[in-house]
Amino acid sequence: MELKQEALAGTLESSDLFIRVSPSEDPLEIAIQSEVIHQFGEQIRATVEEVLAHLGVTRGIIVIQDKGALDCTIRARLQAAVMRAAGETTMDWEALK
Amino acid sequence: MKLRRSMLFVPGANAASLSTAFLFRPDAVMFDLEDAVSLREKDAARLLVFHTLQQPLYDGIERVVRINPLDTPFGRDDLEASVRGGADTIRLPKTDTPEQVHELEAAVEEIERDCGRAVGSTHLMAAIESASGVVNALAIAQASPRITGIALAGFDYVMDMQTERGDGTELFYARCAVLHAARAARIDAFDVVFSNLDDEEGFLKEVALIKKLGFNGKSLINPRQIELLHNAYAPTQEEVDYAKRVVAAAKKAEKQGLGVIALGGKMIDGPVVDNARRVLDKAAASGLRKE
Amino acid sequence: MRGPATTRAESKEKACQGMAEDLEFYTVDPDDEDVERRDIKKLLTECGLLYEIGIEAFVVCRDGEKLVACAGLQQNVIKDVAILPDYRGGALSLTLVSEVTYLAHSRGYSTLYVYTEPKNAEFFRGCGFYDLVEMPDTVVLMENTPIGIKSYCKQLQKHRVEGAKIGCVVANANPFTYGHRYLIEQAAKECDWLHLFMVKEDVSLFTYQDRYYLAEENIQGIPNLTLHAGSQYMVSRATFSCYFLKDQGIVGKCHTAVDLLMFRNHIAPALGITHRFVGTEPFCATTNKYNHDMMVWLQDPVRGAGPALDVVEIPRTEYGGTAISASEVRRHLHAGDLDRIRNLVPPATYELLKTKYVPLVQAGA
Repeated sequence: MELKQEALAGTLESSDLFIRVSPSEDPLEIAIQSEVIHQFGEQIRATVEEVLAHLGVTRGIIVIQDKGALDCTIRARLQAAVMRAAGETTMDWEALK
Repeated sequence: MKLRRSMLFVPGANAASLSTAFLFRPDAVMFDLEDAVSLREKDAARLLVFHTLQQPLYDGIERVVRINPLDTPFGRDDLEASVRGGADTIRLPKTDTPEQVHELEAAVEEIERDCGRAVGSTHLMAAIESASGVVNALAIAQASPRITGIALAGFDYVMDMQTERGDGTELFYARCAVLHAARAARIDAFDVVFSNLDDEEGFLKEVALIKKLGFNGKSLINPRQIELLHNAYAPTQEEVDYAKRVVAAAKKAEKQGLGVIALGGKMIDGPVVDNARRVLDKAAASGLRKE
Repeated sequence: MRGPATTRAESKEKACQGMAEDLEFYTVDPDDEDVERRDIKKLLTECGLLYEIGIEAFVVCRDGEKLVACAGLQQNVIKDVAILPDYRGGALSLTLVSEVTYLAHSRGYSTLYVYTEPKNAEFFRGCGFYDLVEMPDTVVLMENTPIGIKSYCKQLQKHRVEGAKIGCVVANANPFTYGHRYLIEQAAKECDWLHLFMVKEDVSLFTYQDRYYLAEENIQGIPNLTLHAGSQYMVSRATFSCYFLKDQGIVGKCHTAVDLLMFRNHIAPALGITHRFVGTEPFCATTNKYNHDMMVWLQDPVRGAGPALDVVEIPRTEYGGTAISASEVRRHLHAGDLDRIRNLVPPATYELLKTKYVPLVQAGA
């Protein structure tokens, strides 16, 4: 999936995360800040990379401000951000599981 | 027999609420994709609910999703996400006619077949929010074998009736009509939300009323109300003792192959036994009533 | 699955509050909505802030009828953030900043900037803002991306030229005159290499594209020079917002220090710049103050700042006994006096004024 425009998803509230994805010519750049970065940084990054790979996103800038979100919240927010950035409105739900 | 005393509204766009609402142990949660979600966040809320449904967090709690009406641009996508995500029940808002239930039922079945979910495994619940909905309550309640309950929603209803929320007089007919429809159709009935979060006394008064009328429970927006509600529905020691005796008598009759159940020399019939089982379920779920 | 960072009881308590709160967030256009503007002013006053002019939109929060928080947006700069004391420290502030970010996004602004007192910087750090520069004990400028300034400096580094004396000129060139050409020539002569930046922000008739084009045309023949595009990080609304309000007479309260420290801490080190050249300013109070502040913030010791630079003021070149200035050119342009412009600007500028801007001005008049 190609990121066509910048998009936001999520909030800065506790148990959530705020995501900004932007198109770019360069390979993926992922910046993550989290209150639990030492404990869960690797895990968050792994989830983010997995979701992006699954959606076929290979270029772009992904900036994440995590507020202690659950894994399922990270998936949902990132998918929402990518869909918005790609201008995609029809979902393949089975592929998003 | 499933207890449905409390149904907690959880705004579908609120990640924090979705990640924590299970902590309050309501009988059911209602993930809301409709009124609680702004137009901007419809897509994101759908994804959040879709992923939350697949988590084990809500095991043991009935997971209801309130979708947008099917005649909006969001309804069909909401339904896809909910059925595929594994929702136990779909709550249809603003149900005025049985045809709306039929339409929903057909759409659900199509999705079930497509995603390999057992056909019929998704339950439905209709929210009645208008005068025509109240008038058609029985037809709605009987519109599909998937329907497990109907709920009265007060906010839109009182506006449709050109009145406003007050002491309950304004809801009297609707409550009775919805309740009768539910009982005639052998399904559950839910009362309106009580929105003044600071008025605990008023809440308890309303709960006492709807319990007496016969409602299974209430939709709630404040998690603090759950415990109050469950306690109000909890049986007393006397009720539990009596129920135990009834159930014991029923077991005994079954064991002895008797067609008649007798307790203390008096005959009792099926509904009394069912009622006794409900009392014990409630006691098991939240103990004895604390005064 | 990741566990919650807080205990169950705590998160239950928090969730209870979150779900039961009846706070409403929405967007307000202060120019069109009198009641909202009145309430915002009242809230700002209660919080010891001034209602800043030029704010295009506010996100406000009401608890029932009461306005309890607001955050303003002036293009890509967040301003006038106020929350009633009883509502601070909770989820409200985070929702407020989230909402203002969505508002900015819907208006086409991606990276946002905020000025805040150092004591409040921690709050914004928790909202995804990163420090750009601090004027010690006074103000911190922050942006809501961790890679903005970093990747900008990385781009700059590609144009780095090593030398003992590396100069820099930042020009608005509105439009490009013989005065600009003279300043750039003189500076280049004094340096091993000169970096020329065009201010990106448009505040007058001349578009950035045209100003950049004219710079490109008019610097030909200077061998040791790199022309750079402008950016958010240099004389922009973000770094130097008041500069663009100078027509309204707001000069005093400007954070020139922020803009200059941005240059000193980030841009100069990326390119190895040792000297900043500037023309003397006989006419414009704002620019003159900027020149003066340059001596302070680029040359003097500043806590936490990058290495000091030398500021070199070059006297303006004159025509007919008067220093050439772009504002004079604009005056002649508006008067339709193309003949008097001919002697003040290089041919490329003259051509563009004649073919594009004279008709524009006439159409406007």
